[in-house]
Amino acid sequence: MTSPRERILASLRDGLLRGRLPGHGGDLAGRATETPAAPTLAEMAEQFSAALTGLSGHVHRASGTAAVAEIIEGLAREHRAGAFIGWDDEYLGCAGLAAALAFRGLARVTYDVSDQPERRGADVQALAGIGLGLTGAHAALADIGGLVLVSGPGRGRLASVLPPVHVAVVDERRLRPSLAALLREEPRLLDAGSNVVIVAGPSRTADIEMTLTHGVHGPKHVHVILTA
Amino acid sequence: MTEAALAFHRRIDAALADAGLRQALALTTGRLLGGRTAAFGALPGADASRDDARRARASAVARLDAYLDQFAQAAEARGAAIHWAETAADARRIITGIARERGIRLAVKSKSMATEEVDLNEALEHAGVRVVETDLGEFVVQLGGDRPSHIITPIIHRSRQDVAALFREKLGAAPEDVADIPAMTALARRVLRAEFLQAGMGISGVNVAVAETGSVCIVTNEGNGRLATSLPRVHVALLGLERIVPTAADLAAVLTVLARSATGQASSVYTNVITGPRRHGPAGPPNAGEPDGPDELHIVILDNGRSRLLGTPLAEILYCVRCGACLNACPVYRLIGGHAYGGVYPGPVGSVVMPGLHGVESWSELAHASSLCGACRDVCPVKIDLPRLLLAVRREAAAKQLAPLWIRAAMPIFAAVATRPRLYRWAGRAAARVARFLAREGWIRRLPGPLGAWTASRDFPVPAPRSFVDAHQARQEVSR
Repeated sequence: MTSPRERILASLRDGLLRGRLPGHGGDLAGRATETPAAPTLAEMAEQFSAALTGLSGHVHRASGTAAVAEIIEGLAREHRAGAFIGWDDEYLGCAGLAAALAFRGLARVTYDVSDQPERRGADVQALAGIGLGLTGAHAALADIGGLVLVSGPGRGRLASVLPPVHVAVVDERRLRPSLAALLREEPRLLDAGSNVVIVAGPSRTADIEMTLTHGVHGPKHVHVILTA
Repeated sequence: MTEAALAFHRRIDAALADAGLRQALALTTGRLLGGRTAAFGALPGADASRDDARRARASAVARLDAYLDQFAQAAEARGAAIHWAETAADARRIITGIARERGIRLAVKSKSMATEEVDLNEALEHAGVRVVETDLGEFVVQLGGDRPSHIITPIIHRSRQDVAALFREKLGAAPEDVADIPAMTALARRVLRAEFLQAGMGISGVNVAVAETGSVCIVTNEGNGRLATSLPRVHVALLGLERIVPTAADLAAVLTVLARSATGQASSVYTNVITGPRRHGPAGPPNAGEPDGPDELHIVILDNGRSRLLGTPLAEILYCVRCGACLNACPVYRLIGGHAYGGVYPGPVGSVVMPGLHGVESWSELAHASSLCGACRDVCPVKIDLPRLLLAVRREAAAKQLAPLWIRAAMPIFAAVATRPRLYRWAGRAAARVARFLAREGWIRRLPGPLGAWTASRDFPVPAPRSFVDAHQARQEVSR
């Protein structure tokens, strides 16, 4: 008895012997070229801001913990968020931020979703009403206005998708020209956590009559604070 | 004409008679295609980017057995469970089995054409699992007991008034909840958020899988793909076995063209890459591992005719990344929409995939709904030569003697006449004389005998009194 795996792989081998597959040899001349000169941080910050703003996201520039905390406090007040779920301090692009936010009365809700089916529902339900999610980013992609978020201990997935407002604090040195450039630098990045997600702007849909609408399942508001 | 072809003609007639549908198709396909043109216009080295993406897909398909095996091993090493489904029935059995063994009652789904292909929802409902589609368009499709009519924008056949009526009927929506599109979107968010938080299982398709790392990539704009793969304890991903690329760099090459082709975006909002289930830290303090994510990841690798297709002249269709651009560009799709094709995959890609997966016996008529104009090939992000494949479907159908006997007999005679100029001119004059005899008011409404099949769906023009060759010769003589 052969297994389904063996039968499928054998069928593929058989098909490859008989099939006709154009285009994998030398019949394609083109190869996309990246911008030859590496762009400067300032250029990338400019490009990133323009791209994300074009997607209805928002970009802030700030330096210093107090300035960053003030922006976040303002956003929390604007969106009536009294608490947030977020990444551990060391993964935010700004030192000492959690303490600064706590000082301003913004409480961080920590969680560890249970792997037990009977407790899991209550665990995620408890996070459902939280109004703001705070993350850092492994990288920011200048060409598409995208954030690369890598899951890990202290870096949950839900902070960037569950609340209606997502704020990311990103050190501008994490700017990269493109995903291709980032993956050339870190070829094994996809395996760095169980989830690597590129977030380009707020959640959107155009399913009904091609009418663009934001905030269908993910956050309606995305704010990136680039720190110097 | 075969039964299948007659049924296809009836569906086309129904689509053409639907004025609202034609208007919606013109709007949607026009916008998507315009977006695509603009997005590629703004991309430096756009054509080379398509070559890069084609190379990434072609190199994977050329050694699909090896890359699929590498993918499965890498994913298993990261803790994913790999299941191999030879048929649609296998996929249904495997996935309902996973749900049943874990006592799962509610599953949330991210949009997936592969799950449509295997009729997964019905099977799960039979097994006592409630399935909720969470992509806004697919949610509307499910509420209406409908089928998607486009692989990217599933409800282009529905107006906002249709959706409002459906939400009032099925969800008991208040008038203010369906007042406009943002209100309806907000209502769907509330209804579906409650389902996400309770679901025991999340089901997704896979846009691209990476062999090197055992990762699956799921691309969405709404965020439902992230919630479905993060909140429930169990994530099941159904992977069409050809959707592999060798490396992360190849994934980047495909992503460069995918959203630009599909919707005109430089990138989809969420490009979600998943490698194994949530990683737990060493036992001990809380928060030592990842705080969220599914504790089980099951990847179901689906064959369902694909490996057989690999050995046919249609194999190139396995490069397809399912962006839907060929639908938007196709003058036939733009008039008749997705439902008229009758299968899960419509448009030029569907006219190759459907007979490719299920055999030319039942689906070859789709390949005739094309003028072979080449618009599909021109917009394909991986440069699939779709006209060549459509011809290959026709050729295969002919080889299987699916055409009626009189056509098979008549074609060699036509070939003999058409390759002998003197005989051709004589036959042309004779045919024109007969045709003029049959004509009424400048058109032939009905040709005799088996030729009547041609005039069943269109009128035949009356040939000019003098053929082109005769007229040309006469002119030559006058000018001389």
